[in-house]
Order: sequence, then structure tokens, then C-alpha cells
Amino acid sequence: MLAWSSRCLLHRGPRLISLRAAAESPAHLVGCFRTVNTTIRFDEHLTEDNQEYMRKSMAEEYRKQTTDKLNPLKDEPWPRHEWTEGSQRVGLVAVKLGMAPIWMKTGEKHAVTMLQVQDCHVLKYMSKEDMNGHSAALLVGGKNVSPFYRSDEEMEMFRNAGVPPKQKVTTFKVSDNGIIKPGTPLFAAHFRPGQYVDVTAKTIGKGFQGVMKRWGFKGQPATHGQTKTHRRPGSSGPVDAAKVFKGKKMPGMMGDVYITAHGLKIWRVNTKYNVLYVQGSVPGHKNCVLKVRDTVLPNRKSSLRSLPFPTYFTEEEGDLDEDLYEDNVFIHTDQSLSLT
Amino acid sequence: MAVCAKGLDRILFSTRLFQNLRLRNERSISTSLCRLAPDEKPTKFTPPPKPVVMDKTLTAESLRKFLSPEFIPPRQRTDPFKFYMERIDMIRRRKVLTIPEFYVGSILAVTMADINASGKINRFVGICTQRSGKGLGATFILRNIIDSQGVEICYDMYSPRIQKIDLLRFEKRLDDNLMYLRDALPEYSTVDQDMKPEPFSLTGEVPLNDLKVKMLPKPWSKRWERPKFNIQGIRFDLSMSEKKMEHAQKWAKPWDEYDMLKEYDTSKLEQEILSEVQQEMSKQG
Amino acid sequence: MALPLLSRSLTGLLAESSSILQQRTFSVSAVAAAIQKMSRVRVVDNSSLGVTPYHRPPRVIHVYTSNGVGKVGDKVLLAIKGQKKKALIVGQKMPGERMSPRFDSNNVVLIEENGNPTGTRIRVPIPTHLRKEGDFSKILAIATAFV
Repeated sequence: MLAWSSRCLLHRGPRLISLRAAAESPAHLVGCFRTVNTTIRFDEHLTEDNQEYMRKSMAEEYRKQTTDKLNPLKDEPWPRHEWTEGSQRVGLVAVKLGMAPIWMKTGEKHAVTMLQVQDCHVLKYMSKEDMNGHSAALLVGGKNVSPFYRSDEEMEMFRNAGVPPKQKVTTFKVSDNGIIKPGTPLFAAHFRPGQYVDVTAKTIGKGFQGVMKRWGFKGQPATHGQTKTHRRPGSSGPVDAAKVFKGKKMPGMMGDVYITAHGLKIWRVNTKYNVLYVQGSVPGHKNCVLKVRDTVLPNRKSSLRSLPFPTYFTEEEGDLDEDLYEDNVFIHTDQSLSLT
Repeated sequence: MAVCAKGLDRILFSTRLFQNLRLRNERSISTSLCRLAPDEKPTKFTPPPKPVVMDKTLTAESLRKFLSPEFIPPRQRTDPFKFYMERIDMIRRRKVLTIPEFYVGSILAVTMADINASGKINRFVGICTQRSGKGLGATFILRNIIDSQGVEICYDMYSPRIQKIDLLRFEKRLDDNLMYLRDALPEYSTVDQDMKPEPFSLTGEVPLNDLKVKMLPKPWSKRWERPKFNIQGIRFDLSMSEKKMEHAQKWAKPWDEYDMLKEYDTSKLEQEILSEVQQEMSKQG
Repeated sequence: MALPLLSRSLTGLLAESSSILQQRTFSVSAVAAAIQKMSRVRVVDNSSLGVTPYHRPPRVIHVYTSNGVGKVGDKVLLAIKGQKKKALIVGQKMPGERMSPRFDSNNVVLIEENGNPTGTRIRVPIPTHLRKEGDFSKILAIATAFV
């Protein structure tokens, strides 16, 4: 209300303000230029009973939209195509849980990152024409969030797909034979142990950093007559150039950019809880939402044959084991190793 | 629910009792062998009937409740589900390998598969000086002095290379970390390689060994007298003057105990995880 | 290393016998965990160079690795009793891989130019993963114990 009135005041022009300024206190004038946050919480004007009801009904609706609707093949699936050389599958949106050790049958230990696929759905199909004629794409979202803080325009896509709104929506370029109907849930079993994936996420933000931390410059010595020059960049280029070349490494904001870790092997997939065990570390902090897709590395492409195409459907291979392991991974229910 | 928990307790209790009985039986078999030898009747050995002695004083309630410290998740923003996933694997491993209840200060013998050792088996006996790590990556350090050379090995508790963990002496020490044994006289970390396991009880308090060690002359690897280590098990009066001990108190942080942000009460969490672990461990298959 | 060790044990005995006496030990900095140039090491074989006491501990004056840090199985050049001798690292203070032993001192065995050991016996246990590091069969043959 206050914001509306202030905007209104500004639009009406200076005449009104000057008129009223004389009549009213100057404090009100100051209030006009202050930005006032008019966002209202969804439960602000609701009684407690109504809030309770809203929460319950939303939870019910989510359940209907996610767990009860796991069979996209039953209601008019899109035509399926066979896998051919060069086909590109869709990827997943996953949540980073943290790191853990994993042991091989030879006794060696590896570090793995656990990624959980939470409520990952295909949201929208973008045809080649929509994508500037390059390649078809699928919008995929992951991790359900509250619908109350989304505008109607934002909610439209989710409503069309018939799924709850997602925290993260990303685009995956797919080949024409790899398209999936919007609303299809995606599971961790989309990826199989032994294959290689690329993981894209936003790295941890480090703030404004100097060149030594940001670019690994050496700095200057601590002693030997240094005056106020220990962690500074030094020279920024040759004298003849008479300019600083573009792309010169300088201090600045570090981290908080999208980085892809390429060619990470999948050691294990838990199909019950939809957890991927990915070799090594991945960018991003704990609980961050990241993007996992088949690797683009040409030498690792051979690991991508014989995968579920275009994705894993529960009613096709419903009898998957709870845990899928790579051949070399030690399974904790086995006897201890003897290494003979 | 209560009935169920009681039943589980009974199962757990009976398995532990069985392990104890097995230990006793091994000993009794060895004595009977000695007796058989002079009789010169080795033609047919008949094992003596297993004496099933049930100690009536032992009940499921009196058994010591114990949760290994690596089950308690650290205080951080990680999704608790991650620790649940790790616990599943830890319980699976514990069903295959018996990891006894032990504390820093207990004496253990670890048999592990070693591709480089002769016979591909490596057995190391030592005193546990440190336990660290949470979840699947939990470790413990064993220390011993062999041929007047101090040796320490850090073991991954859930590594599949570990074949057997024997508890030789069950006791606690005054401190939760015995890293100062590196600077103590060697006699305190010397353990006989052929030590026989000592009997211990499954009930009551954990035996506490209030041994205070004498140290080598300074310098030490760390300033153990500093308040942040809070060491009880060192005879500081032998190696430090009163004045120096007072001086060390300069680094004390008496306000830390009032810092509510550093409080981490795990008792409730511990109860939940303990019941979950007991339930899973009693399941078969 | 032999001499400071001796002095430490001697002072340790003193401390035991007379607890009231606050002896003033001369400051000896702790042995470096990583083995690099100028690290003091302990010779653990029974060669005459290694066992006879000398007023200066043996020091590493070169490490034959690309990064200059010695681990178990690496060769080093020692300055010992005024001579230059090659030696093999058979135990280190710096923790290595999990489930591998860590020793309280940096142990070396003197070797000739051709790789044969100078001594005839090693007095301390040898880590088993030395077998993996290379072909040291002659050194492994004179070892008394493995951990």
C-alpha cells in the first residue's frame, strides 16, 4: 500500500509533492523515496486453521503429482525411438549430499560424492525452432518447492507439465530421438554404474579475492626491502604494448560461477533412494542443486552404450536391484577381502 | 513398541553372550588337549559337551548400552539422510565383521589383508591412541613399540581389508586422545605382540585405568600442558615447574563453557540412532 | 640422530631418578616429518658408519626424487661422519596412506653405489609396502621384522 502510494506520488509529478509537502511533515517525503518491501507471505492473512489446511492440501497435491503419477507410459506416451550412434540423452537435476569413501575389490579406497535425485521431472519440450535451430532441448527441474512464492507466469510451465514447482530448472540439449513427454519423472537409474558423467554446478563463492588466491600468482618476498608489496600482482604487461591486454588476470570476485567437472565415473546407484555415487569431488557446496549429464569426453563415450534410452521407466525394468554396483566395487555384505 | 524393543535387546544380548561363551570354550578345549596328550589316545577325539552356563544375573537391561562414536553425526548442515545412507552400509559391514566395543586406551589386535606381507596377512597389536572420523570413514590409530621403534598404524574401521579385530584388553584411560604417548616413556606404549585376550564383563561401567604417564624430557611434539588439550594422564609435576604450569594457564579460555553456540547435546540423537542400529543389527540376512 | 636420541634417553633416565631436579635439556627441534634436504635421519642398519657415535647427526643433502621430498622407497644422499653416502628410506615420520605404518623417526639404510646394503642386519621393523616401491630384495633380505 505504501509502495503504491509512493509510486503514485512520483508519477503525479512534482506539483503534487510540493503542495503536500507544505501541508505534511517532511518525514513523509523521505518515506516516499524509501523502497518498501510489499511482498506478503502466503499465510499472512490466513487463520491458523486455514494455514494448516493449505499445508495439508498442498502436500496431498504434491503426492498426487509425484508419487502417484509414476507411470508416464500408461497415458499416451510419446513415440519411442531406438538408440543410434551420436544420440544425446537427457540429464538429471540432483542435490549434492556430501562425500564418503568407497572400497574396491582390490582393497583400494576412493572418495565418492553422493548425489540424490529429488523429484526430478521433465517440464517442457523445446523444439529445434525454439532453440534457434541448433538442437531440440528438454527443460528439466528438480527439488520441489513451495508454490506460494511464484508468480503466475512462472507457475504456468509447471502447471502444464502437471508437477509441483521446482527449485532449479535447467535445459538439456537432446537429439531428436531422445525427447520425452513433459511430466515424466526421472530417476537415478537413468545413469548406470561404470558410465562417465559431467556434473555442472555453481562453485562456492569466495568474494572479492586477490591474485594469489584467485589465480595462484606467486606474490613477492616477505623481506629483502619490500615496501607494501607482498601479495600484489606486480606488472600488468609489457611496456611496448602501452596497454593492458584483455583477459589480464586481476583481483576480483572469485567463485560463484558455473563449473563443469568432466568425466566422473559412477561407481554405484541406489535405486530405492535415488542416490548416485560419483567418483571424486564435484563443484558446489553441500545441498546445492546441480546438473548431471552423460559425458561429452570423446574417449569416455564408449561407456555410454547400453544405457536406458531415452530414460529409465519404472514399468519397463521395475525389478532393478536396490543397489547397482560397478564390477570392481566392494559390496559391504560380502566377506572381508583376502587379497591372495 | 516396547515389547519389540525388549525382544530385540534379548536377541542382541544372546549373541553377545554366545561370543563370550565361545571365548571360554576355546580355552577349555586347549586344556582338554593338554590332558589328553599323556593318555595316548589320540585315535578319536570327542569334543567335550559344551557347557551352557547362563549367568542369571545378566539380563538385557543390565547389559551395557553402547553406540560406536562414528554413528553420531557431526554438527553441520549436511542432510541427515546422508548419514542414514552411510549407516546402512556401516550396519551391513558390521554384520559381516565383528567390531567390538572399545575405547581409547584399549589394546586391540587387527588382522588385515596385505598384498605385500608374507602370507598376505598382517597382524598388529597396539594400544588405541585416537579415534576419529564419522560415518564410513571412521578411523582408529594403534600404537606399539617394536624393537625400540615406535610404530603407529591408522586403520579404516570399515575397510574390507580388515579381517578381524580382537579386543585384548578392555579399558578406558583418563583422556580421549592418547597422542601424548609419542612423547612419553616408551614403556607406556609397549605391548606384547603375543598378548592373550583378557576377560572383561559385558555389564556395568567401563573399567577406567587412571594411569598417569611420565614423559620424556622436553621438547614435546605438542605443548600438552596447554589448557586446550586438557590432559589428565600426564605427571606434569615431574617435567614442569609450578611456575611454568601456571604460565600455561595464560592460554585458558574460561569463557568457552558459557558459549551456547558450541553446545552440541547428542544424547537424544544417540538414543534414536542406537535403537535404529539395534533394530537393524538384529534383522537377519 | 643417534646422538640426540642417546642424550634424550640419558636425560630421561635422569628425570626418572631424580624427579625434583629440573634438568635443563638443550633444545633439539623435532625431527621433520617429511624427508628433504638437511633433514636429520636415523641409520638403522648395523654398518660401522651407522652405529659408531659421532658429534654430528647424519643429514640428508640430496633427495633423488622430482619434488625433493623423500618417502619410503626413495634414495637419498647422506652426509654422515664427514662422508657422502647413499641411503634408502625405510620408514618415515610423515603419515602415508591409511593402513600403512608410521614410524616415530625417519629411518634409512646405508647402501652402496650399486644398491647393495652396507650393513648385514636391520635393527627395526620395515614397512611391508617397501616391497611395492621397487626391487629392494637385498635390503628386504637383511630385515629382521616387518609391520
